[in-house]
Amino acid sequence: MGCSSSLPDRSAGAGRVGGLNPSNGDSDAKNLRVKLVLLGDSGVGKTCIVLRFVRGQFDPTSKVTVGASFLSQTIALQDSTTVKFEIWDTAGQERYAALAPLYYRGAAVAVIAYDITNPDSFHKAQHWVKELQKHGSPDIVLALVGNKADLQEKREVSVQDGIDYAEKNGMFFIETSAKTADNINQLFEEIAKRLPRPPSS
Amino acid sequence: MTSDSSSRSSSSDEEDEKSTGKKPNTNSIDNSLDAIENQLSSISFNAPIDENTATFADYNHESVSEINDGSLTETVGERRVISIGESSSSRGTGLWTKNMEVEVEMDGSMASPSSSGYAGERGSSGSVSVTSGCGSDGVREVRDNGSTAGDDGVNSLDTDRGQWTSGKRHADEDDTSVSWRKRKKHFFILSHSGKPIYSRYGDEHKLAGFSATLQAIISFVENGGDRVKLVRAGKHQVVFLVKGPIYLVCISCTEEPYESLRGQLELLYGQMILILTRSVDRCFEKNPKFDMTPLLGGTDAVFYLLIHSFSQNPATFLHAYTCLPLAYATRQAAGAILQDVADTGVVFAILMCKDKVVSLVGLQKASLHPDDMLLMANFVMSSESFRTSESFSPICLPRYNPMAFLYAYVHYLDADTYLILLTGSSQAFFHLKECRIRIETVLSKSNVLSEVQRSMSEGGLRIDQLPVDPSARSGSLFHLNQRKPSPETVVGVGGPAGLLHFIYRSIYLDQYVSSEFASPINSRPQQKRLYRAYQRLYASMHDKGVGPHKTQFRRDENYVLLCWVTQDFELYAAFDPLADKAVAIRICNRVCQWVKDVENEIFLLGASPFSW
Repeated sequence: MGCSSSLPDRSAGAGRVGGLNPSNGDSDAKNLRVKLVLLGDSGVGKTCIVLRFVRGQFDPTSKVTVGASFLSQTIALQDSTTVKFEIWDTAGQERYAALAPLYYRGAAVAVIAYDITNPDSFHKAQHWVKELQKHGSPDIVLALVGNKADLQEKREVSVQDGIDYAEKNGMFFIETSAKTADNINQLFEEIAKRLPRPPSS
Repeated sequence: MTSDSSSRSSSSDEEDEKSTGKKPNTNSIDNSLDAIENQLSSISFNAPIDENTATFADYNHESVSEINDGSLTETVGERRVISIGESSSSRGTGLWTKNMEVEVEMDGSMASPSSSGYAGERGSSGSVSVTSGCGSDGVREVRDNGSTAGDDGVNSLDTDRGQWTSGKRHADEDDTSVSWRKRKKHFFILSHSGKPIYSRYGDEHKLAGFSATLQAIISFVENGGDRVKLVRAGKHQVVFLVKGPIYLVCISCTEEPYESLRGQLELLYGQMILILTRSVDRCFEKNPKFDMTPLLGGTDAVFYLLIHSFSQNPATFLHAYTCLPLAYATRQAAGAILQDVADTGVVFAILMCKDKVVSLVGLQKASLHPDDMLLMANFVMSSESFRTSESFSPICLPRYNPMAFLYAYVHYLDADTYLILLTGSSQAFFHLKECRIRIETVLSKSNVLSEVQRSMSEGGLRIDQLPVDPSARSGSLFHLNQRKPSPETVVGVGGPAGLLHFIYRSIYLDQYVSSEFASPINSRPQQKRLYRAYQRLYASMHDKGVGPHKTQFRRDENYVLLCWVTQDFELYAAFDPLADKAVAIRICNRVCQWVKDVENEIFLLGASPFSW
């Protein structure tokens, strides 16, 4: 499914080609273009994280994502490079689980989100981590995100549990709140810093 | 209440936990379920079938009349009639005149005396005698208007979109709730092992006991080598549809014809297939007790809107789609660019505005069934996430290929107008995205989008503009001077000769056009009542038993309804109840002529996939 064709491009670090990857990889050392996939249980706030990041909006009414939505956003880093995130916001529903490889194949970044008030979603997140370690790109950047951090009084997954699990699996960890915008930009900036850079010519 | 009911429903899950926390309750479903289980076991010992069916009738009667409104008073002292196939036909005829009847109609029973009795009954609300069915209907509909708050689940939909996107309403109810029993129209989807999959009202898991009961009825009849289609209990009809391991049931007291309710179950099933494909059947082959509810997670809004459309969208019973009225050249321009992208491997390219088609193009000879279009448009319009950003989602078109997913690229071009590009390749997103950008550029350059907007706000065929004088025929809807500037313009009472509304369905094109609603049919309940009347008219015209008919003229206290079916078209028209028959017929001729005159603008002609 287009996976093999991405091999020659891997040395470039980002902008791989493949089924759901843009084919015209116009990444260079100063302007990165990366495919990012957002995974996690339904209702943890994946779409809210993306919409907060891309449009600065927050809509408290829950809108179930169908299939996957595609959005992009470019950020500028302090070292004057720009990173264009091409984000696949996937549906958390069980019936779409089998389709996930379509979206994470060839992704340079996977953000796995859970809801800090819902331990089940934390377990589901761990399931996604395992799947990506098995089937994702070998040099994929993994980020674990505990969302809904504004709901401290309802917290059921401790910060330490998140940190421990992320450390064990070599992931970047952060707690966010799409509602208050807390740590949302930081999440993507941190990811951008961790991206493997193509050798500058 | 809640804890009580949940313990009850778990206890009635017939195969799992049989007696945990069960409470004695003489009227409960559980006892009825026990009764049916006893029946099922006794029938295997070849007990005399008459006794069995008699008890079965009691059982049916219990469960169905309870739904009625929770009061058992109307059942006291009444005789029950049941007819199952040939076996009990001798009992059926003798007791026919009693006012409380429970009937079971099955495939194999059409020739029995009891079912001929049923046919007469159906005739009264259907085609043969015009008045008797309508009188009681009028009473019911008055009640409809009076009791507003959501008892049929359809209120102020357009004004408050948030209401239905948030998912199921009345999720706290179950079969012990009085409010649940009073609902006029229930829809259930369950598995062949009796596990609930979907319920219009109430939480599926709490309805496990009720689902098991429905399953028991179906499998009891199936064990006898027959199939249950309909149970009548007083005002209630219980309609069954079996689709492999999936059972669908509608319990309704809306007096809609059996054929209509069955058609609605077919659409409900189709909607489920659109989301999951028929490969879900395989899950049941592996594990008969498979729980399907998680697979439909987050789709309540889809089913909610579909069920809503059963009483608001004539496409649900006409099996035809409708187009947004547009100048011929405008629609041609839209079709041309869609054809362009279709040539690059897109299976279907569809441009729609709400539930109306702007243009539609299919690859080579692939044709899109109107029901598939209805279900797809319903799916897109009910899923709010499509409005947020461009999306790529698997969907299955049940009439095109129920076993496989296509991949749909969906993008809203403005608040109401959306583009769907369907492909067989899961890898085609970026190609489709480029196609969309091209289409969007062309559409905005050629002003198609603004024309679409204008047509949306101006509306389509208006009965007050029906050309009465043949010499005034114009051949186009789009003469600026004749168009009223605002849709709010008060229209007099109907059109010429008391014409209130019409629907014209072109058989050849699989398309219909309906006039805009005008005074006095302004409110939702009035529109719903008219659609229900059309629905009955449609069912009676297409009744295979006594039809097909060519014309029908019926008068009741609400309308004069006139239907005319030819090889080319079907016309359904509603007039003021005092309208004169001869004049009404003359007006219908004018309507047909008018539709023909402007067909370039109201129908998708030529480049459609149906023209081959």
